[in-house]
Amino acid sequence: MADKFDLVVVGGGPGGYVAAIRASQLGFKTALVEREHLGGVCLNWGCIPTKALLKGAEVAHTLSTMQQWGFSADNLSFDIAKLVAHSRGAAEKLSSGIDYLLQKNNVTLYRGEAVVTGKCKLSVTTESKTLALDAMHIILATGARARQLPGLTIDGDRVWGAREAMTPTVLPERLLIIGAGAIGMEFASLYRDLGSEVTVVEALDRVLAAEDREISERAAKAFTRRGVSIETSATVANLRTVGEHVEADIDSPRGPISICADRAIVAIGVTGNIENLGLEALGVATERGFITTDPWCRTNLVGLYAIGDVAGAPWLAHKASHEAILCVERIAGETSAQPLATDQIPGCTYCRPQIASVGLTEDEATRRGIATRIGRFDLQASGKALAIQEAEGLVKTVFDADSGKLIGAHMIGPEVTEQIQGLVIAMGAELNDRQLAEMIFPHPTVSEAIHESILDSINRAIHQ
Amino acid sequence: MSDKLSLVAMPKWGLEMSEGTISNWLVNEGAKITVNDDLVDIETSKIVNTLTASKSGTLVKILASEGDLLDVGAALGVIATADASSAEIDAFIAANTAASSAAVSVAEPTPAPVVTSQSLALSGTAAPATIKPSPSPAPAPVISGADFAIPASLAARGDDDDIAATPVARRLATEHGIALGSMTGTGRHGRISVDDLREAVIAAGGRFNLVSKASSPSSSNGNNADDSQVPATPVARRLATELGINLLDCRRTGRHQRVSKADVEVAAHQRNSAINGSASTASAVGESTSAPASSAPSPQPLSAMRQTIAKRLQDSKREAPHFRACIEVEIDRLLALRKQLNNARNDANISVNDCLIKATAMALAAVPAVNIQFDGSQITPMPHADIAVAVALEDGLITPIVSRAETKGLVEISNEMRDLATRAKIGKLKPQEFQGGSFSISNLGMFGVSQFDAIINPPQAAILAVGVGERQLRPDGDSGVRQATVMTLTLSSDHRVIDGAIAAKFLQQLKSFIDQPATMLG
Repeated sequence: MADKFDLVVVGGGPGGYVAAIRASQLGFKTALVEREHLGGVCLNWGCIPTKALLKGAEVAHTLSTMQQWGFSADNLSFDIAKLVAHSRGAAEKLSSGIDYLLQKNNVTLYRGEAVVTGKCKLSVTTESKTLALDAMHIILATGARARQLPGLTIDGDRVWGAREAMTPTVLPERLLIIGAGAIGMEFASLYRDLGSEVTVVEALDRVLAAEDREISERAAKAFTRRGVSIETSATVANLRTVGEHVEADIDSPRGPISICADRAIVAIGVTGNIENLGLEALGVATERGFITTDPWCRTNLVGLYAIGDVAGAPWLAHKASHEAILCVERIAGETSAQPLATDQIPGCTYCRPQIASVGLTEDEATRRGIATRIGRFDLQASGKALAIQEAEGLVKTVFDADSGKLIGAHMIGPEVTEQIQGLVIAMGAELNDRQLAEMIFPHPTVSEAIHESILDSINRAIHQ
Repeated sequence: MSDKLSLVAMPKWGLEMSEGTISNWLVNEGAKITVNDDLVDIETSKIVNTLTASKSGTLVKILASEGDLLDVGAALGVIATADASSAEIDAFIAANTAASSAAVSVAEPTPAPVVTSQSLALSGTAAPATIKPSPSPAPAPVISGADFAIPASLAARGDDDDIAATPVARRLATEHGIALGSMTGTGRHGRISVDDLREAVIAAGGRFNLVSKASSPSSSNGNNADDSQVPATPVARRLATELGINLLDCRRTGRHQRVSKADVEVAAHQRNSAINGSASTASAVGESTSAPASSAPSPQPLSAMRQTIAKRLQDSKREAPHFRACIEVEIDRLLALRKQLNNARNDANISVNDCLIKATAMALAAVPAVNIQFDGSQITPMPHADIAVAVALEDGLITPIVSRAETKGLVEISNEMRDLATRAKIGKLKPQEFQGGSFSISNLGMFGVSQFDAIINPPQAAILAVGVGERQLRPDGDSGVRQATVMTLTLSSDHRVIDGAIAAKFLQQLKSFIDQPATMLG
């Protein structure tokens, strides 16, 4: 007879494990099925290990500027293996932490592959056996993986995906990065700081195309100044490995270009892990590689839900965790559960300078027919930013001109990823420009630029 | 008098409720109340739910303290209109506390609540006045809480949403029914602040004292302060209430530095040790945690839910003369219909039980003499087939109700049942979702049980026990045999109100719907 659960989660990433813990907290008899690592891509092959590597890049950058702070040193050496080991160590530590959390919350963990075999039915294959599970509710949180295109195949050797890119054994002298989204730009920043020559190729007309246009432009300028070559509106016509190298033919607005590099990283987006789950046989609706869901994360199949990356953009860990909570709480009949506020999901890119944003870009607001008032503040006028020699940046705030409501915030500069939450709260609390202008921001901080940007939107900026 | 004054009484959320524990007052004495305002959280053996006001007015008196275990109908507080004099209020309170003094007084440090047989006795009707006076009518302690009196001139008259006020001020205004429109805001952006509220209320002759609510003066040894903000697990909070332990007296060793159950038990043990002198006398509370448990299993007291189940079923078995009637039904056509529907509808996962709910509802509509409630003296015909379906829980069972099931389609019944069962498992059913009902179904087929008798769930007068569907060879024609899936249904009826012929007629009707499932879709 099948083991019975109230709720079974498939996938142990930041969507899945959060869903399982919340379900168990609410009193559901809960199981989680994970085929590889608890913590998912985020923790094992994404957010966390890349942040560990980027800290190394920051150290490299600091060392390269030591003379302006009065330091000098000879015989500096760098062992990339140690940096990678630090990164892997951080990931492993966190992954075992999740194992502990699941145990503590009485979540039954199956290490294996799950297939949805029918309505409210699963089959789980572990190393030793296959077993049947019955569950009143099944949540799919299987995540996504790097998208590949014909001719852009990750071979793991010279053409890397994110996994290989975060476990290099040698530093490539010349690196080609295909795709200038958040992942591509973080690797570009990382490898540039470590000393590689980096070229980024992007099919769209700008880098970080999801960000506000002005932020994209600032980022492109900053990267160019750091010596990163950027080719936008450019597509890779041909990518081949030649001996120890990779060669790429690029169609760019200025004609065909040929690039030779030691390694290439393919970062052209992600595709949902929807295969081998039994979805097709059950007629579960999918759209362009992702599972179709309603605002409560329900699929078209009774008792089946999908959250996080596998349910579509934005592919962010915190969006997955948030959906996990709302999906489970809705199942539990919690009246406080609310559908995802898609215009209030912050996004962060940890390149140098950092980029963070929430809400509508100016273009998107205009496209929706919203009359806007824009505030801007350049970090060149920020005392703290100048003092720490990181005055390259901008805070742009977008307000609804009629109501004064904050509808978007876009930041580039030092540690902006740690500051955006202030604006997320402001947006969630529906504070308007005048209320925000009244708030006291501490001095000296980089975050004062947020205040000045808000003041600028009502023509009251002091420091510019 | 009754127009001016109304009693806030311990509600009866369903038949099984005979008493409730005051969990948390949500308003203070003196608060302005409008109809449907949340008044007080009450915990029963099954749920914690919020009692709302049935009358508007001022909550002039709170008569029950948090932690008090009181019988249904016991006086919890008094709501008065503005024109009620204090003499009238006093007289009203005196009258009502005398009438409902069956209240279990909890004015002293309480040991784990002892449920007396008296407090569990199911009163025949829901009327609060039937409760017997008790010989020791200790008046329930009164909370000396924040002190508000809102003059009529400031009483809220409608929508203040467009008036700028700080969130705290708005909450207080809503809680106490203060009109924001009548005052001037001096806060930022001209918002009305708490100070503005206070000034306006006092200027109009009212009282506005924001005193933090004092906890009941029950814990003689330990902290008396409000511990509602102390982080604690729900179990710990409930246990602390039961044992009269203030959470401020507890260590916080639980996750996220919350007070855990063990912390409360330790605090209780320490208090008891202090009370009993020095030697660690065998304290029932301490035993389970601090003393190394001996290997022999010790007797366990019944949980509140088990006590309720035990009491109710004992009463039913004793009071109602059960008789049983069995019928065998072939469910192959029902299974085919179910399969067809499930294949055609992605949004449904209809079970055999869902089909039986529908068939039963249709049979009840056809034989209304079974669709009744009976309280021992009166038969109440029920307008709809509200079918209670037994759902097994870890430590008991609950019977959520598919209401008006005869009006609903199979997909709707199935999805409603899934939601009810889901929330039943985690104790999140609302009272109206498991109370009442006109008929019950209990299904043990999934365990392979072929047939069984069920005990009636009063005030219903009948219950259907469903066994497993088994493949059988049946005679076909004169010499042949055929295969059929056969299920045994057993109806237990209360013979005081349902005769054999009625029960038989109902079963016949039910069988015909199961035999010809298309007919129940009509």
